[in-house]
Amino acid sequence: MIDAVVRLLLDQQNSDGGWGAVKGKASNTESTAFAVMALESTQRKDLPGRVQLGLNWLARHQNADGSWRLNDVTPGGSWSTAPAMLCLGSFSGQRSRAVKAAEWALIQEGNSLGWLGSLIMWFTAQKDINRINMDLKGWPWASGSFSWVEPTSYFLIGLKRLRPALAGTNVNERIRQAELMIYDRVCEEGGWNYGNSKVYGEALWPYPDITALALIALQDRPHMEANQKSLKMLEKSLRETNSGLALSWAIICFQLYGRGVAEWRRLLAERFEKAGFLGETKTLALAVLASTDTPQWFRV
Amino acid sequence: MVSRITNMMNRREFLKGSVTAGLYPLYSSCRPAARWESDAYRRPKNSRVAILQARGYDFSLKETILKGLDLFRLDVRGKTVVLKPNLVEFDPNGVINTHPAVVAAAIESFRSLGARQVIVAEGPGHRRDNEYLLTASGLYVVLKEHGASYVDLNYDDVRPIKLRSSFTNLGQLYLPETLLKADLLVSMPKLKTHHWAGVTLSLKNMFGVIPGSIYGWPKNVLHWAGIHGSIVDINAALKVPQFSILDGIIGMEGNGPLQGEARHTGVLVFGTDLVAVDATATRLMKVEPRKIKYLSEAGEFLGNIAYEKIEQIGEKLEAFEQDFRVLESFHYLKDLVG
Repeated sequence: MIDAVVRLLLDQQNSDGGWGAVKGKASNTESTAFAVMALESTQRKDLPGRVQLGLNWLARHQNADGSWRLNDVTPGGSWSTAPAMLCLGSFSGQRSRAVKAAEWALIQEGNSLGWLGSLIMWFTAQKDINRINMDLKGWPWASGSFSWVEPTSYFLIGLKRLRPALAGTNVNERIRQAELMIYDRVCEEGGWNYGNSKVYGEALWPYPDITALALIALQDRPHMEANQKSLKMLEKSLRETNSGLALSWAIICFQLYGRGVAEWRRLLAERFEKAGFLGETKTLALAVLASTDTPQWFRV
Repeated sequence: MVSRITNMMNRREFLKGSVTAGLYPLYSSCRPAARWESDAYRRPKNSRVAILQARGYDFSLKETILKGLDLFRLDVRGKTVVLKPNLVEFDPNGVINTHPAVVAAAIESFRSLGARQVIVAEGPGHRRDNEYLLTASGLYVVLKEHGASYVDLNYDDVRPIKLRSSFTNLGQLYLPETLLKADLLVSMPKLKTHHWAGVTLSLKNMFGVIPGSIYGWPKNVLHWAGIHGSIVDINAALKVPQFSILDGIIGMEGNGPLQGEARHTGVLVFGTDLVAVDATATRLMKVEPRKIKYLSEAGEFLGNIAYEKIEQIGEKLEAFEQDFRVLESFHYLKDLVG
């Protein structure tokens, strides 16, 4: 499977050196960061040129404040700074870019209601709608909105990896608060979805891809009850509903928690045969990363 | 994130919104006359909507859809048609999404009428995992069998569009190129109640065209900007010709759009005026369209919601009305005005 996936990835690289979400789409930061990580992890001798083109694309799209815009059309810093930070943090020659991105991330946070908003929520029917603590701050998808599990997990992994280079900043407090936020959003039976465990008293279900990602972000707390419960939930949900994206994240997660992955890799290959991961760059890249035995990009 | 993509709602505005919700009737009477550029919109004098009976998903849906399209004399020869179903989440025991059989029949119908290209496009609001959503929902098989292409609108190429309505303070929206280049955009919603908006139909379905890669999942920027205002501004920004094929064969009542219960209604609803289609579908659920804030606002300039302004050219509405259950907070929607 890997050779075929890598061939597809190479075929999807745009002439500007970046990757779009699927073949033919304009390059974006997230797809490019994951594709670069994937090609680099193959350690193939014929690929450094392609990797360098991707790195050049990322370098050209970093803003002066250290953040990354999503693509050529949308200006300003975006959540996709996190995957770029994860990628460049592992290239010795690019580490200063990743640290600058981390410094930018430390001054970003999701909105909260504040004391007055919380008070209004408490005295209205609104308090019964969601169970989540909206005052806990992680990272939002876009400025001016709440913190959600996926962007918070990306930033958490990146910041934990770069923590030694961030001495004298508020990195420890941001990590602590973000962890609390992720634990607050855990679903009743374990696992995570986009970031809401209950609406109008009815439990919402976890998503395997997001569950695996959140577990990766919390890998340094393996004995927490929520982690253990969520690992079980992840295995169960993968048996019921799998996809290239979910399986790839889950394999990386299980490796980091010291669990076997042979069965899941077999299923991943089957999924590729069935639908080719829909040709999505991120899934193709993650499938390559899930096939290497050392998940170096995500270990904290 | 520091440099704002849009002018989004901040805490002060949220609080202001909470207070104004209670004072809305007063606010309505003294607010500025128009929140849209009058030269940009022309509401039709009257609208036509067709309710056609469709007993189930295993009946000949293509025949019904062709009949519906014929009633509106749609000319799609040589054109690019984009179908936008409601594919937001998957629950094996639920009825969340537009049924794949309806999408399949629409692909076949538009092709048989000479469309150059039929694209299925959606930007799921909750799940980012397209492969899972498409395969689990059954849509992947439909796409494969029909050789139809699928575009993930969450990651499509985008273009900024300046808004000519201001029901939010978003100012502009990044919209997918696939829609902007379409000759006809077909909203294909499911007949459902909605726990934030009251009902979700053709207009609310367009939340799915907003790219999650920019606005997040579950399109949270739009919720901060105001769900009703966002629905109106999104639809006002879509200047491409539109049509609606609403899947009301089995709808959802109660805690929609995800966790409600199935309700068999046995119809497909068609129309070129999405506001009129939604007003009709709302009446099918025995919900008052004038009390749905976004429908009422859209009815001021985008289309018709008044009963007497909508000619029913298919079956009689009254023959298929069902008393859909709504959450307690929406009981006021059940006081029908007309």
